[in-house]
Amino acid sequence: MRNFDAFKTMKKGFDLSQAIAEADRCLLCHDAPCSKGCPADTEPGAFIRKLHLKNITGAIRTIKENNILGGACGVLCPTERLCEKECSAMLKSKNMPTGQDRAIRIGDIQRFLVEYSWDRGFQVLKRPAQKGPKVAVVGSGPGGLSCAAELAQAGFRVTVFEARPEPGGVLRYGVASYRFDESFLKKELADVEMLGVEFKCSHPIEGEKGAEKLLENGFDAVFLAPGLWKAAQLNPGQAEIKGLFSSVDYLSSLRDGRLEQTASQIEGKTVAVIGGGAVAMDCIETAAKLGAKDVYLVYRRSYLQMPAEEPEIQAALEAGVHFLLLNQPLDYLTTSDNQISGIKTIRTRLGEPDDSGRRAPTEIPGSEWNLDADVVIEAIGNQAEDRSPEWYPGVETNAKKLIKVNGETGETSAKGIFAGGDIVRGPSLVVNAVRDGKVAAQAIQQYLNKEEER
Amino acid sequence: MKSSNKVDLSIDFCGVKFNNPFLLSSSPVSNSAEMVEKAYEAGWSGVVFKTLNSDRIPIIHPSPRMNSYHYGHKRLVGLQNVEQISDRPLKDNLIDFLYLKKKYPDRILISSIMGFSNSEWEYLAKVSEDNGADMLELNFSCPHMCVEGTGHHVGKAFDLIEKFTTTVKNAVSIPVLAKMTPNITDMTEPALYAKRGGADGIAAINTVSGISEVGLNDLVPKPNIFGIGAISGTSGPAIKPIGLRFIAEMAQCEELNLPLSGIGGIETWIDALEYILLGSETIQVTTGIIHYGYRIVEDMIEGLSDFMLEKGINSVAELVGKANANLKTTDHFELDRQGITQYNLDECVGCGQCVIVCNDSAGQALDWDETTRRPSLIEDKCLSCMVCSFICPVEGLITYKEMPTDWNRHETKIMDHSLEKELKLEPFKELTNL
Repeated sequence: MRNFDAFKTMKKGFDLSQAIAEADRCLLCHDAPCSKGCPADTEPGAFIRKLHLKNITGAIRTIKENNILGGACGVLCPTERLCEKECSAMLKSKNMPTGQDRAIRIGDIQRFLVEYSWDRGFQVLKRPAQKGPKVAVVGSGPGGLSCAAELAQAGFRVTVFEARPEPGGVLRYGVASYRFDESFLKKELADVEMLGVEFKCSHPIEGEKGAEKLLENGFDAVFLAPGLWKAAQLNPGQAEIKGLFSSVDYLSSLRDGRLEQTASQIEGKTVAVIGGGAVAMDCIETAAKLGAKDVYLVYRRSYLQMPAEEPEIQAALEAGVHFLLLNQPLDYLTTSDNQISGIKTIRTRLGEPDDSGRRAPTEIPGSEWNLDADVVIEAIGNQAEDRSPEWYPGVETNAKKLIKVNGETGETSAKGIFAGGDIVRGPSLVVNAVRDGKVAAQAIQQYLNKEEER
Repeated sequence: MKSSNKVDLSIDFCGVKFNNPFLLSSSPVSNSAEMVEKAYEAGWSGVVFKTLNSDRIPIIHPSPRMNSYHYGHKRLVGLQNVEQISDRPLKDNLIDFLYLKKKYPDRILISSIMGFSNSEWEYLAKVSEDNGADMLELNFSCPHMCVEGTGHHVGKAFDLIEKFTTTVKNAVSIPVLAKMTPNITDMTEPALYAKRGGADGIAAINTVSGISEVGLNDLVPKPNIFGIGAISGTSGPAIKPIGLRFIAEMAQCEELNLPLSGIGGIETWIDALEYILLGSETIQVTTGIIHYGYRIVEDMIEGLSDFMLEKGINSVAELVGKANANLKTTDHFELDRQGITQYNLDECVGCGQCVIVCNDSAGQALDWDETTRRPSLIEDKCLSCMVCSFICPVEGLITYKEMPTDWNRHETKIMDHSLEKELKLEPFKELTNL
């Protein structure tokens, strides 16, 4: 049996001396621009200054109080376009006597501080007496966890309902474990649980008015953060083909006990992944790491139009994948026993920008060709479940079945029901879901305080 | 080796010719011939060998014997040590003398000695001379000696300095340096005692008594020698300002007028040159070597050579004490000449640290534009303290500009003028008729 240890575990982060060296490079800006760049208000300007001044416990407290998933964000955030984007150290003149002209590695410092608190057993947050109103949180991904932690700290009794067997949402089932591993996730979850949050796993909130019934069954408010778990398909309604995976199922399989089975399907094979976003990058990189003979990324636009972050793209390229840009998949090729054998593809060229602001592909007539592949993974976006609006009919949704909310509060059109994360935004970042959870938790507190006054 | 910058760095110090002014000081880095040989190969012109003892009492070094003083991630900004004089048998050290002089006749071997009695000083001086030492350095300053009449206790009892120096001078014909402790207020006074005893030169400074760190869990100051800490010698870049001060004061003392060997926090050719410009003819290094190894002398030689080439200076002697003419007491300043900072924002990175320091420690002379993230100077409030330029990450962005003599600085703001009516104040009058 293969050894999957490297696949299953994250690389080590900073140690104390590396973190201090990096914090020493920080210019400790007035009116810190990095802090303004964090959607979850994790306040890197404050925690790096604290580390710089040897106030390590204070630095950890700043992170944990502001962002219960500070560790996860430190690992997973595309920091180069958030907090690190405006870092003044990046702009330092070539005359600067110390350090290079690059942003402070804020994500790495943040991850270090959170891991350091675990290593040292330093519990920043205290569990308050839980006697406040009861809140149901639907979904245990970053949005749900953030909302639950915030409310539990305020003394609310919080129950998190998770459809899958284990909590974590996208942090568990949507990301390769070498990027964010089980042991790290467990510690993040333990910090939330320690606050008194109750988890009910394998407990989907679905069915007719499923979410709204929670309000009738003793909960004073509901926060909906189930995420998006239905994979978009190249051919909607596609019948099952052996060897054709959705990114959701493929990535889940790497985390839910099916790793060896999936690995055996990938090893030595030709794998094609359709898409150009972060999920597609995870799919191609994992396939390469699991020993695929060749991994092709098939993307209909070009490099600059990819939604994926540059470091993700680079990591995938370094894993040895091939980018087939300007190629639009048309249909699947199968063998007589319904096994996939390739993708029918047509070349494209870029035309004028579309609604997304990116140049749109147009097909080049007559340029069809067939790409041979033993395994194909569709990574062309996640969507809301088709029937999800029925689970909360009082909640207004849009054409894509995403929930409409007041952006300032997370309030939906249904009284007592709030929502956040991907089910509101569409596919987005972990840190944005954390922000939504925090914002909604504040709004839920205000809402319930008002209800109590009545 | 190519020698595009071959410069003669030799200097005459107390009548002895050194190939360059760079020496190892008496310390762990000069503990044996095996070590000194490597130093010579690296380019050091001489060594002050680890202080000899006469085997009368056993020398045992405490363990652990050193502690680093860190600043942020910067290691060894200072070093504290509790090491004693040489723990080797006298015979072994002297055999090493013979080896070094035989193999490296052009390098200068200075024997550091410390006696516990007048006759022991005499004895150690003689055996050093008899076994090839070119000079002597009298250790009046080791901070780790508890016995009265030894180490820094001598350095603080000035008549003993004179007495022991006289004894040594009467016993040998080689030049004699007196090495001074900085743990006093005025070094010229003991130096003059050494001169009266016949010293040919002064070496300074030995380590500064200090405490580098306290263990927060065991409450033991470091280095922690099995539960006990001790005030002991601190060295390294952190003490350079103290060393430069004592050297300059002795160089400016006309009555003293002795050659000086500068010691204290030297790592680079610039540190060395500063010591030379303030009056040192040679300089000695330990902590820089502990940090980086003997190899740093290569950069000292190259750096000083290039500086001399650039400035058209032909010998190190021309540089000795050259800055002292410009070193005066504060009453010599021309106070009617004033200036301000000036900002060239072309390369500003927008960190705003200048705004913080100006508000919290200076004249509140900077406004901050939140949108553009740039400071702007309110000229008549600038105190010209220059602290903003010290923390600015862009070298040369903030500079000093002298203002015309009719320019006036804004007076510091009073928060509430209405409180003047509650003021209880009479102007100060000197009491003349007591």
